Amino acid sequence: MAGKPAQLPSKEASLFRHLVQNYESKQYKKGLKAAEQILKKHPTHGDTQAMKALILSNQSKHDEAFELCKLALKNAMKSNVCWHVYGLLWRQIKNYEEAMKAYKFALKLDPDSIQIQRDLAHLQVQVRDYQGFVQTRRTMLQAKPQVRQNWTALGVALHMSGDLSGAENVLQKYEETLKSTPPKSDIEHMEAVLYKNSIVAEDGDVSRALEHLESVYKMALDRTAVMEMKADYLLRLGRNEEAETAYRALLARNAERRDYYEALEKALGLDRTNSEDQQKLLEMFQSYAEKSERLDAARRLPLDFLEGDIFREHADKYLRRMFRKGVPSTFANLKQLYSDPAKKETLRELAESLLSEEPQTNGGAETGEANGSIDGTHKPARLDAKTTWQISINYYLAQHYDYYLSRDLAKAQQYIDKAISLNPSDTDYTYHMTRARIFKHLGAVDKASQAMNEAREMDLRDRYINTKGAKYQLRNNEHENATSTMGLFTRKEAVGGPLGDLVDMQCVWFITEDGESYLRQGKFSLALKRFKTVYDIFETWTDDQFDFHSFSLRKGMVRAYVDMIRWEDRLREHPFFSRAALSAIKIYLMLHDRPQLAQQSQMDGTNGENAAERKKAAKKARKEAEKAEAEKKAKVAKQSQPKADEEGSTKKEDPDPNGYELMKTEKPLEEAMKFLTPLLELSPKNIDGQIAGFEVYIRRKKYLPAVKCLLAIQQLEPDHPKCHEQGIRFRLALDSLSEPLPPKVKEVIDSSYLSQTSSKSLEECNEEHLETHQSSASHVQSVARLRSILKPGDEATKSKGAKDLQGTLSLDGIILEQAVDGLNLLNEIEAGSEAREAYLQAAQKRWTEATVFKAP
Amino acid sequence: MDIRLMRPSDIPQVQQTNITNLPENYFVKYYMYHALSWPQLSYVAVDVGRAVLVVLFSFNKTLQVSRPKKTPYDAPKVVGYVLAKMEEDPADGVQHGHITSLSVMRTHRRLGLAEKLMRQSQRAMFETYNAVYVSLHVRVSNIAALALYRDTLGFKVGGIEAKYYADGEDAYSMRMDLDYLREEALDAEDADGEGTVGQDEGGEVGSAGKTAEGSDAAKKKEKKRKVKVGRQLGVGELVERNESSHQAQANGTS
Repeated sequence: MAGKPAQLPSKEASLFRHLVQNYESKQYKKGLKAAEQILKKHPTHGDTQAMKALILSNQSKHDEAFELCKLALKNAMKSNVCWHVYGLLWRQIKNYEEAMKAYKFALKLDPDSIQIQRDLAHLQVQVRDYQGFVQTRRTMLQAKPQVRQNWTALGVALHMSGDLSGAENVLQKYEETLKSTPPKSDIEHMEAVLYKNSIVAEDGDVSRALEHLESVYKMALDRTAVMEMKADYLLRLGRNEEAETAYRALLARNAERRDYYEALEKALGLDRTNSEDQQKLLEMFQSYAEKSERLDAARRLPLDFLEGDIFREHADKYLRRMFRKGVPSTFANLKQLYSDPAKKETLRELAESLLSEEPQTNGGAETGEANGSIDGTHKPARLDAKTTWQISINYYLAQHYDYYLSRDLAKAQQYIDKAISLNPSDTDYTYHMTRARIFKHLGAVDKASQAMNEAREMDLRDRYINTKGAKYQLRNNEHENATSTMGLFTRKEAVGGPLGDLVDMQCVWFITEDGESYLRQGKFSLALKRFKTVYDIFETWTDDQFDFHSFSLRKGMVRAYVDMIRWEDRLREHPFFSRAALSAIKIYLMLHDRPQLAQQSQMDGTNGENAAERKKAAKKARKEAEKAEAEKKAKVAKQSQPKADEEGSTKKEDPDPNGYELMKTEKPLEEAMKFLTPLLELSPKNIDGQIAGFEVYIRRKKYLPAVKCLLAIQQLEPDHPKCHEQGIRFRLALDSLSEPLPPKVKEVIDSSYLSQTSSKSLEECNEEHLETHQSSASHVQSVARLRSILKPGDEATKSKGAKDLQGTLSLDGIILEQAVDGLNLLNEIEAGSEAREAYLQAAQKRWTEATVFKAP
Repeated sequence: MDIRLMRPSDIPQVQQTNITNLPENYFVKYYMYHALSWPQLSYVAVDVGRAVLVVLFSFNKTLQVSRPKKTPYDAPKVVGYVLAKMEEDPADGVQHGHITSLSVMRTHRRLGLAEKLMRQSQRAMFETYNAVYVSLHVRVSNIAALALYRDTLGFKVGGIEAKYYADGEDAYSMRMDLDYLREEALDAEDADGEGTVGQDEGGEVGSAGKTAEGSDAAKKKEKKRKVKVGRQLGVGELVERNESSHQAQANGTS
């Protein structure tokens, strides 16, 4: 903080300097003391008040800080310090827009302040205000052209703003200002040079990029990068012979990289789909395979394009090798081929026939090598070649019959039981894990959880199996067990127990699974709480980039920084986010449709199906609340002397651990938008996102965005059941508008969507749809749901719906998840308990093991 | 299985692999810190059965797909990773790399992934930062990891650090010289005359080491302090601190 202490006598002026120093070195206590001393004599000294506010803000006393800073501004309207601090306070609470306004005001008062400019630049890039970023960075460069960072920073700013030639120019100019070429060891310089080169290529001028790259090629220390860049440029320029050499050089360094092989094929002019080329390709791959016994890619890749007998020959060789070595990931490595039915059959035949063979032992079985057992207490059992062979093949076949494209779960169980019986190790849980997985596919989530727990107990020091165990417990809705299982590997002293630690450590998978489990059980507030936690973790990941805006420029690793910025731009396209977002939206929709859920969920955490259950649950909830209260008290007692970390702030306790406050929202649809907006923006091709989008928009009566979602669904998957279902609901909504749509909106909806729909009545359309889609359970369900929407409460509709849903249970293609959907739909259309019983009975017959259809 | 450089976009996946396999975990920001400080050093092993699909599915539906894809946004399935760095302030004054964490999914063992990941990282340490050796720590009880480092990769036990881990366990401090890479580089140079690989100017070693870190000279030196195992409290203000506390992890085991 550089500020002129306005009109302070020398003693106080010196105190003020101390105050600034104290702040910068995070000696907040001392700083506050100094501030008090000044303020005693000069109670209206704005800059001092501002500095004090800044310290308070760093101690997380935000309200107090703002109050004081506003007072400071009143006292010293023209002080750049006050305005700068005001901006910093906004930044602290992550209101970047307000922060930028304040910084800009401060800059008006003190246009030359480098510190304010830098702070402003960081915010501008954080919020992706690239025009502003360029401007600030240009000013900073003009002020200090002797600093290298200022050049690279402007280069980055121009690059990000889309001005590629401008960016190149700036980076070029910097190089020209240098009197001599920096030494090879100047990593920062070479980074900037390679960065410039990548911009030239990105701008499309590949031949100039290549020319430039060659001129700096030998100097570059990031060998992999320059070799890849060069190879890529050569290939793009069609200089195939040189590209071949370049890719062979890369393969010599890393022969497990698919991209290199693919590029080499291109350079050689070979095409995998051309049968004449296949022999040449095979030779190429074999030449690599011969180089190393340990190489997988060159042996595995030909299986992608070979067919018929030659595929059989090579698949046979591949399987034998893997079985002999006892590689557990053999199936994982090959299942990609299963979408080709002929290959799927061949692999099964080969595996089954190899089972009766003896292994060839030339070369020796390579079992028990480095990454063998986890348990340090004893060495991995060295298996004899025959046992390794037998276990591997049985294991392969178990996974084969467990796979959804070749599923026969009874056979899968036979093979896995055989593999387990052959396994002499009492710590190698691999096969037990698959046994649990097969139970899961049978729908027996209880047995699956039990089996996975047995596997876990075989090796208690291994976190991988511990993780699996907890996951299966959550699938079986065993929250407490899952949490304590995870607790075996979390920090013992963590605030909030294992869950607190998992949240702290950003363990997204657990939080999501936990939430989904609560959602299945109708415990909406806890479910929502979990999904909101995932949302917050993503917020943290967005904020995490902030420090790198300055750090990366100091470090000079500009290419990595730009990669990071681009990744952050699309951060929420990650399935971790989509999955939690879809579930959160589901809950908000229910909250909108049934606002009473908020109270109910607080009362008993159930859907409130009958009074007895509710009473029981209420009692349980009361007990839980008492327990939580007791725990809270204990915790408070324990924390009576809170340990402050370096920054002087303490970890705050969650004021809403059960999500009740979240559930109380008055505007569930607006809350849903927070999850929906990134979903639609970043993953527009995720059909579930579009479906959720429609549900939110139709409830908000936003017909244009709703129709946009409908059209997207139609384009992604025209035969998706929701396409029909939501289409009809959309038309129904338009038919029952209380006031007509604005003419322009109507025109767009008419021309983009309604013009292609049938003129028949909605009921007729719906029944027609059933006729053409009788063999698909999901479509039948959509029709049934629509019927009850079109004729709510109608008894005939209910019984027709019940009958049709019952009928889906004997369809060939129905899968367990669809049958569960059907069961939920029976409740939704209020088909009555008799229909439900009948449905459950039929479902039990078909899925004898499935927990979900068994009486509770 | 593909072996390739870790990109920022891999980080959530790598972080999940770490917390699935190992007891020592870090915030995403700490992975970012590695990826943005030494972007050449960290590698991932990816199950491409899924990753490639993203491309195949969107361009040509007739090509092979292994499972019905829910969305085109599926993240790469990271089955192993090595998270590596350069030692910022080497106590012995010798430039060297350090393995912060290494793990391979249990389901993908016996493919030699850990070794392949390590080899890539080691070469980058040598080529880019002129690392003379690479160091790591391993729990004394972790025989499997010890065997990998010692027998397969050629690490040597330098000593035992008492009570290195938060739970009181001792660690072997291991290291491996990267001389073999210098020789390989010279051989490669002779072979193709291109001189593309490695430090061809032996004389520069000392100064190279210094200058590489030169930009950090202004940064505050922090006292060596032992952080509780696995609880790296973020990167704070991103002032580099002594990283002795970030233990190398055993391979897929813990």
